[in-house]
Amino acid sequence: MRILFHRRFFGASALYALVAIAASAQTLPPVQSSTTQTNGADAKSLAPLIVKDDMERSVAVPQPVKRIISLAPSVTETIYALGAQDRLVADTDACNYPPAAQKLPKVGGPFTPNLEVIVSLKPDLVVVAANSGNRKETAEALDLLHVPTYATNAKTVDDVLNSIVKLGDVLGVGEQGRALSDSLRARLQELHRRLENIAPTRVLFVVWQEPLISIGQETYIADALRHAGAESVISTKQDWPKVGWEEVVRSQPAYLVFASAHPEEITAMLAGVRNLPGWRDLKAVEENKIVIVSDAINLPAPRLVDAIEELARHLHPEAFADAPHVPASVVHLAKRASTSAHAAENAQ
Amino acid sequence: MKALTLSRLLWICGSLLAVLFVVVVVALKVGAVPISIADLALNLGRVILGRASQVPSEYRFVVFDLRLPRIFLAMLVGGALSVSGTSFQALLRNPLADPYVLGVSSGGAVGAIAGLIFAPQIPLVAPLAAFLGAIATIAAVYFLGRRKGQLDSTTLLLAGIISASFLSAVISFLVTTLAGQNLRGIVFWLMGDLSTPLPDALHWVLLAGLIVGVGAIYTTAADLNVITAGEREAIHLGVDVTRVKLVVYVSASLLTGLAVSVSGAIGYVGLLVPHAMRMLFGSDYRVLIPSSLIGGAIALVAADTLARTVMKPTELPVGAVTAILGAPFFIYLLRRRLP
Repeated sequence: MRILFHRRFFGASALYALVAIAASAQTLPPVQSSTTQTNGADAKSLAPLIVKDDMERSVAVPQPVKRIISLAPSVTETIYALGAQDRLVADTDACNYPPAAQKLPKVGGPFTPNLEVIVSLKPDLVVVAANSGNRKETAEALDLLHVPTYATNAKTVDDVLNSIVKLGDVLGVGEQGRALSDSLRARLQELHRRLENIAPTRVLFVVWQEPLISIGQETYIADALRHAGAESVISTKQDWPKVGWEEVVRSQPAYLVFASAHPEEITAMLAGVRNLPGWRDLKAVEENKIVIVSDAINLPAPRLVDAIEELARHLHPEAFADAPHVPASVVHLAKRASTSAHAAENAQ
Repeated sequence: MKALTLSRLLWICGSLLAVLFVVVVVALKVGAVPISIADLALNLGRVILGRASQVPSEYRFVVFDLRLPRIFLAMLVGGALSVSGTSFQALLRNPLADPYVLGVSSGGAVGAIAGLIFAPQIPLVAPLAAFLGAIATIAAVYFLGRRKGQLDSTTLLLAGIISASFLSAVISFLVTTLAGQNLRGIVFWLMGDLSTPLPDALHWVLLAGLIVGVGAIYTTAADLNVITAGEREAIHLGVDVTRVKLVVYVSASLLTGLAVSVSGAIGYVGLLVPHAMRMLFGSDYRVLIPSSLIGGAIALVAADTLARTVMKPTELPVGAVTAILGAPFFIYLLRRRLP
C-alpha cells in the first residue's frame, strides 16, 4: 500500500506537468453562459451586449466595458494594440509585452489565475485565450461566479485577424480593431505578393530540444510558417508533437527555426549539442542554417505578423532586395501610443 | 528450488539472448527509414570493420547514428532497472518494490529540474544534475534507513517512501511555480523517455557502470537466496548480512541512478521483469539476476521500438508504453498465481 502511495504522488505531479504544458493546445467547449449581471456596484446605463465568442459561447457583456482583466499574454498584447489598455485593470505574470503590461496588477499565471483576486477586482469582462495558455476550467469557474468571460481562439493567422476585430467590437473599439486588422492583412498580402513565385522552404520548427518537440499542421504557428514562405517537415494533427530524431534526419529540413526572446540562449544551446547524434546528422546544423525569430510567433496576437515578416526575410532575402528592413513593431507601438487616448474617449 | 547447474544457467541465458537478438534485429529494421535484413547485415559488417564511410548516407545517419545507439541505450537501461528491481525486492523483502521505491527517481527529477532552472544553457545538464540528485537521495535514504548502525529493511523502506513523497511534492511545487519554457522537457523526463541522443562516450560509461553494479550484486546472489528465507537464519548460517545488504543497496541504487539520469523514470520494467523471470525460471538469485538483466533489455528495447514507431512522426514517451503494457501484464501475473 505504501509503495502505491508513493507512486501515486509521482504520477500526480507528472500528470499535472503534462496538463500544464498541454494547456496551450486545450480548447474550450461551447458553454452556455447564463450571465446577466456583474458584481460591479455601479449601475449600468445600457443593456448588456450579447455576443458569441470565438468558442461559440454566448456572453453577456455589460456596456460600456470599463474594467477588463486579461488572462493571457496574447490577449494583453491585443488589448494594447487596440488602444484599450486604459481599461485593463489586471493581467497575468506571463504578460510581458508591451513592457508597460508588466506593471499592471497581476492575477497569477494564465494556467492558475487566482479567482479570488479576479473577483475582487470587479471586472466587467475577463478575456481568456482558449488555445494559448488558459484552461477551460478557469472559464467555467468564472461563469459560475457570474463574471462575464469572453474566449478568444485562433487556429490560423486569419483567425487571429478576425479575432482581433471581434474583440475590438466587444470592447467598443471596433474601428480600431478593423483598422489594425486591415493593416495587418495588407502587410500579409504584400508578403504573399513578394513570395508568390518562391517555393516554400522546408523547415523544422523547434519548440523544445530535449526531447525534440515541434508543431502540428493545425496550429497557428504552422499557418504562420506558410505565410512566411516555409512549411514544417512534420506532418501531424497533434498540436505539440514530440518528434522522432529518425524522422527529422530522414526529412533533412533546409532550416531549423527557433523562437526566442533571448537568441543568445539558443545559440549557446546549439553550440553545446551540435556534435551530438541527431543534431550532427542534420545538414541544416552543419551549414548553420538556423533562424531564431522573435517569440511573438508563439502568440496569436498582432505581433504574429511581425514575426512572419521577420521569418520571411530570413528565409527569402532575395524577395526583399528592394525593401530595407524597418522593424515593424516599433512603428506600430508608436501608432498605438497616439491612438490610445482617443480610443479611451470613444469607450466612454 | 531446482539445483543450479552451469548448463542450466547457460541454457537459460542463451535462450534469452536469442530472444534479445531477434528483438534487436526487428528494432533495427523498423522506423522512419526501414532497412532490409540483407542491407542491415551488409552495413553492420561495414561498421564493424571500420568502413562506416561506405554505408549509404540514408542508413548511416538514421540507422547507425540514431537507431543503433538508442537500442543499445534501451538495453542498458532496461537491464539496469530490472536487476535493480530484483535486488530491491530481495533487500526489502517486498514483492512490490521497484527501482524507484526508495525515491531515487524523484531525487533524480528534482536534480534535473534544478539543473534546467539554474543552468539551462549547459548541454546535458539534465542527466548530470539528475545523477547528482539521485546520488544525494541514495545517501540521504541510507542514513535515514539505518537502525543500530545496520540497514533495516522496514526502516529503509519507510525512509525511502517518505523521501520519495517529499521529493515528489518538491517536484510538484517546482513544476507549478516555475513552469516555463525550460521545463517543457520535464514532462517527458517524468514519464521516462529514451529519445534524446547522448554523446557516444556516455554509452560506454553506462556500460561500465552496469557491469560493475550487476557484477557486485551477482557476488551476493547465493547469500540473497539465504537472506530472503529469513535474516536470522542467514546470520546463523554465517552470512554477513550487513555487508550483503550494503553491497546490494549501493549497487542497485547506483544502477537506478544511472538509468534515471539518462532516461527519467521508466516505470514497470523494474517491477515486472523480475516477477516474470521468477515465474519462468524460479527464485534462485544466481539465475534471477542474469535472466533479469537480459529480460529487462528485451522488454525495454521492445517497448521503445513501439514508442518510436506506432504514432510516427510523433513519438510516445517509452514510460507511457511500459505502463500501458505493463499494468495489464502485472494483473495477469497476479491472477495467474491465484488458485
